Amino acid sequence: MKCLRCLRESADVVAKAPDGSGAWEVYYCTECNYSWRNNETEEISVLEKRDAWGQLDKVDFNQMRVNVYRAMKKPV
Amino acid sequence: MGFKDLRSFLSKLEEEGQLVRYSEPIALSPDWSDITRALPRMGQYGPAILADNLEGYKGKKIVAGVHASLANCALMFGHSKHTSLQDQINSLGKRWVAAGDASSAKLVWVENPPCQEVIIEGDDVNLYELLPLHRLNPSDGGFYLPKTCVVTKDMYSPDDIDSENVGTYRCQIHGPNTIGINISNMHDAGEHIAQAEALGVPMPIAICLGNDPMLDFMASTPLKSDESEYKYAAALGDFTYELTKATLSNLDVPANAEFVIEGEILPFERFPEGPFGEFPGTYSGVGKTCRIHVKRVTHRKDPIYSTIYIGGRSETESDMLLALNTCSLLYNQLRVDFPQVRAVNAMYQHGMTTIVSAKPRSPGHAKTIALRVACTPHGTDYCRNIIMVDAEVDPFNLTEVMWALSTRVRCEEDVFFIPSTPGLPLIPADVRPPLGRKLVIDATTPIPPDEFRPSKVVEPYQKSTDWRDTIAKIQQQLQK
Repeated sequence: MKCLRCLRESADVVAKAPDGSGAWEVYYCTECNYSWRNNETEEISVLEKRDAWGQLDKVDFNQMRVNVYRAMKKPV
Repeated sequence: MGFKDLRSFLSKLEEEGQLVRYSEPIALSPDWSDITRALPRMGQYGPAILADNLEGYKGKKIVAGVHASLANCALMFGHSKHTSLQDQINSLGKRWVAAGDASSAKLVWVENPPCQEVIIEGDDVNLYELLPLHRLNPSDGGFYLPKTCVVTKDMYSPDDIDSENVGTYRCQIHGPNTIGINISNMHDAGEHIAQAEALGVPMPIAICLGNDPMLDFMASTPLKSDESEYKYAAALGDFTYELTKATLSNLDVPANAEFVIEGEILPFERFPEGPFGEFPGTYSGVGKTCRIHVKRVTHRKDPIYSTIYIGGRSETESDMLLALNTCSLLYNQLRVDFPQVRAVNAMYQHGMTTIVSAKPRSPGHAKTIALRVACTPHGTDYCRNIIMVDAEVDPFNLTEVMWALSTRVRCEEDVFFIPSTPGLPLIPADVRPPLGRKLVIDATTPIPPDEFRPSKVVEPYQKSTDWRDTIAKIQQQLQK
């Protein structure tokens, strides 16, 4: 299914309410790592109502800031 | 004196009227998030809340607000819940001095620990179903573990407990059994990742949840890289700390934690993480960070998940958790070189604005002390605005601080800044992260030959405090 944030077809159901109530399902996107529940507020769970600020559909993941750690060799 | 686990501390909170049990249904979003925001806004006696009927997680226990108020922090230290902020900071400062290098702290390793009563591994791990996860802020990139004690070891000294790090880092759930973790290269765990990548090997890591309150407190304290959070938790809490070995690595973990997530970080793997509503009151961006591959989760029977709110611009539990430790640790570090320092207020946004009261010993000396603040391990990237006030000014009384700023500062001589210092990527005012800047405002009274225009200070009213108390008593009688 389509991810609500990056709009790629890379999301799927990964969990259901563990108490068996059927209260919600969790969806997770393997591309942008966004996750959401189907019963969250519309500003989160309905594409048309989401804040454009957080959308990643126009973002090039290859240009994203990367956490880099300077290589630390064993002290001599 | 200390509390060996979260459960014993919750019992103490309940005994003192500081724990609310709530079993009515609670919607995960936005109700639970709003509850966690409300707790630290309830004043000095704000309680913790223990709920067991979250939507879809009925029967699972979740607690928030353990460190949300001054009263709860006082009880953690073994004080009366009525102990004032200043008294708690003074007491903590003395404990730091008495603890020294914490070498006399008592640590024991136990077999068959409570935290390993239940073991889940492999494909049976589904963090979304195991933990009552919730979104803290509407634009967060997912569900975060916001109150963590993350354990990593110095890869070149794997048997050394002093360089083992226990830190609080934000962890975003990335699917049923992977976790994105954001660790700065300024942090101790960042050094451990750098070592593992230099070696080209996976780095073992454990995320401990639902810990005794003192370890959560120490994991948020800016200790030096060769100081053990476990030892200081034991020394400052005055109790024997019970540890155990993780089941899949050499890591030491709290024996009485509610949950321990064990996994490893593979070298050079990076995946999108964020955004997350952070302590400055703004969201972080999205960037590529390390990923934890979860191998196993161990937990106590009937475990309690402990969470915290972070993201609002002030009055969050995160602010409270870091207030006392940051103030007292900076105070002690400054006092080593500058015994003229009387108090340090670093309560706001983790010390981004830090107010120091001192009795400078020579002209310009206050500015030297301010520079020392900027050189402490915590101050290097966190303390961006440093305000110096006279010893007679209480830095925790913002009315007095405003008086000093209003009447003691000459912009040409008492205000200066240092550009392009280390800073925090989370500050929107700094446009070239991680570069930041330092602002120093010296609001102390000049010492000759530096001087103000001649003036006479109004004398204090000697019996004013006595009269205040007398009149207050009469007013109390009137109100009965």
